[in-house]
Amino acid sequence: MNIIFREIRAHYKGLIGWSAGMLFLVIAGMAKFSAIASGGQQAIQLFKTFPKPVLVIAGINGLDVGTAIGYFGVLYLYILLLATIHAAMIGAEIISKEERDRTSEFLYPKPISRSKIVTEKLIAAIINIIILNLITTVSSILAVSFYAKNFSNNNMILTLMIGLFIMQILFFALGSVLAGVFKNPKLPTVVATAILLVTYIIWVIVDLNSKLDFLKYVTPFKYFDASVIINDGHLDPLYIALSSVIIVIFITTTYIFFNRRDLKV
Amino acid sequence: MNIIETKKLTKYYGKSLGIENVDLTVKEGEIFGFIGPNGAGKSTTIRTLLGLIHPTSGSATIFGRDITKFGPEINEEIGYLPSEVFYYDGMKVIDLIKYSANFYKKDSRVISKRIKELAVYLDLDLKKKIDDLSYGNKKKVGIIQGLLHEPKLIILDEPTGGLDPLMQQRFFDLLRQENKKGVTILFSSHILSEVQKLCDRVAIIKNGKIIRVDKISSLAENTHKRFKLETAVRVDKSRFTGIRGISDLVITDNSVSFLFRGRINEITKIIASLNLTNMLVEEPDLEEIFMHYYV
Amino acid sequence: MNIFWQELRFNRRTTIIWMVAFAFGIFSYMSLYTAFSHDVSQSMKLLQGFPPVVRAVLGIRIESFFTVLGFFGYMLTYLWLIGSIQAMNLGTGILSKEISGKTADFLLSKPISRFKVLTSKLAAALVIIIATNIVFVTASYFSAEVFKTKDFDVTVFALTCLTMLFIQLFFLSLGFLISVLVPKIKSVLAYSLPIVFGFFIIGMLDSVIGAENARYLTPFKYFDVGYIALHSAYEWRFLLTEALVVIVCVVVTYIIFTRRDIQAPV
Repeated sequence: MNIIFREIRAHYKGLIGWSAGMLFLVIAGMAKFSAIASGGQQAIQLFKTFPKPVLVIAGINGLDVGTAIGYFGVLYLYILLLATIHAAMIGAEIISKEERDRTSEFLYPKPISRSKIVTEKLIAAIINIIILNLITTVSSILAVSFYAKNFSNNNMILTLMIGLFIMQILFFALGSVLAGVFKNPKLPTVVATAILLVTYIIWVIVDLNSKLDFLKYVTPFKYFDASVIINDGHLDPLYIALSSVIIVIFITTTYIFFNRRDLKV
Repeated sequence: MNIIETKKLTKYYGKSLGIENVDLTVKEGEIFGFIGPNGAGKSTTIRTLLGLIHPTSGSATIFGRDITKFGPEINEEIGYLPSEVFYYDGMKVIDLIKYSANFYKKDSRVISKRIKELAVYLDLDLKKKIDDLSYGNKKKVGIIQGLLHEPKLIILDEPTGGLDPLMQQRFFDLLRQENKKGVTILFSSHILSEVQKLCDRVAIIKNGKIIRVDKISSLAENTHKRFKLETAVRVDKSRFTGIRGISDLVITDNSVSFLFRGRINEITKIIASLNLTNMLVEEPDLEEIFMHYYV
Repeated sequence: MNIFWQELRFNRRTTIIWMVAFAFGIFSYMSLYTAFSHDVSQSMKLLQGFPPVVRAVLGIRIESFFTVLGFFGYMLTYLWLIGSIQAMNLGTGILSKEISGKTADFLLSKPISRFKVLTSKLAAALVIIIATNIVFVTASYFSAEVFKTKDFDVTVFALTCLTMLFIQLFFLSLGFLISVLVPKIKSVLAYSLPIVFGFFIIGMLDSVIGAENARYLTPFKYFDVGYIALHSAYEWRFLLTEALVVIVCVVVTYIIFTRRDIQAPV
């Protein structure tokens, strides 16, 4: 419990910053919706004629931006990016920081097993992630209902937020597994965020070019594609299962590697 | 000529005191010890001299030039070795040393030759990555990069940590050789025996203030000496009354022991009149003297 | 010059990765233009009948959007985002790594003034940014030439590409400033990513509050691709704002860095 509290204390300022950014994103984003909605049906007609690349790059492919939920689907992509960057960074950082700050010689000889240290650190990180998710969820529901008066599809927002949470945990697990495997304590954060951006770009490319459809399993952004979720009305169980398997593998690997590894002093 | 001269050098970190009114003079060609407990202000003084931190008030000159105005020029002739050395990730020893060498104006061929000599002398493999070196070997990198340009002044801040006794000996020999060539050395430490071994003069610093500057040899003089006498018969206490400088007097049936500080002639006269079976005068333990200043 | 070359050496690998990523990204994106340009006439007609507010929100200018330049310009915001991260990492890291890596004692006890240390590092960072921009412009021009359907205005193209340099300079200098304001930066990314994304999100806001002045808040709004296409020029007031920010950041960095105490590494 000692480490959990310490890590939460160490991260609370950062968490406040991320939460503020998220609030700003959701509110500013939804404020923009009222401008679009005033364009009304015309806008939707126009979008339907746009070539696919434009829609994909704009993040509105397959989304009806004339509706509140469709528009929120566009915003969802930015929310995903922000939250996953946070998750990947915290996952990588929380494990590797002792070695980076040269405090590993202090912490690891304490009468507590490495597994327990990792567990407590992971719990602290997950608490951070849950808080960010809750703030996103609440602000989204409030902002959408404020800017779209007749909106009543809060279940869809909740569904999207569950998707967001799985994505957060997925990238958090990626960060932690990299921190478990890499010896250089500076690399995990860099590599985790690089992977994140690359998978995002792959997601765009897959949408742009249908020949590359097989790549869709490579990028988690495809697992929780807002347009698909909104059209289906639910998350795809296959992708939930796939994500869960990846998460379990990553976390297990983190423990295995971290326990075996020679710590850098 | 004075190599280092500080006048009322003062450094505050915000409100907390680093050093206050430090007056030091280090003469050319001497090995000057700088001793004091942790947090006394040794590093603060040295870091101010090197221009790493800026004095709050007071001034200092090195080679007769003001440290705040001529920092880079002064550093040209200084070799500095900190207590803990840190270098860039992923660099090889030789890369770091070459990087270091390129900062100095001295002829690069002379420096290269010197690097090789030092590496052989200290038994350090220049091709290794710094990250893979042990603490002691990193220290050797520090020594080489500090001495490669044959500085006129060597500043050492608790430099011996991590060096094994043999290497420490070699390092001290190296410093003595340099000193013979006329190099001045400022050697900070909290380990007394090191200072005693190496230095001519020493300054003692405590709570940011210099409390004594003296020759190592004279530090030992004019201090207490412990006398342990074994006597054939019990000595009467009155024999010692009226003599200044005696303390901690203990008399048993066949022994007398006391601490004495004062004119040695006076006390030997009295001792000569006693019926002794044995006598021991202990040289003052420098450690004890320093403890006296420390606490 | 010693520090200058050493910094180039330190950053060599990272810079090459950024360059390759830029070149590859731009080329792959531009390769989509051919397919894209085929069926746009219908959209053109519809779009022209639209109220300006909708067009503004979407960031699309009818005049330029469907040309090869317009297509390139549309991606530019994202390229800026990526470029900003590179510049911010570089600016934040190049100085702060001496403190966080505890090498400041080593470097600053050398016979070189802090002014020179900083100037060398600034120069190295500048060279890295300029080199990246050369690759960026070359890759962009090459891709545009290969995939164009009609000739394009080279001046407009050059001005559009050069925005990257200005955006990067903004974040480079901001990074410098942050590296001397924050006592100890443990992770460069922990500063660069949130700050860049922060400015990016602020950029989303300006069209919402509608106030033109909001554009001063974020470099992502200093350069309007549509305006450049129309006038073959930048908007001076934003260029000046940028220059002011860069100068202030750099000057303050010099002042703080030359005066600050370098604490003993613990």
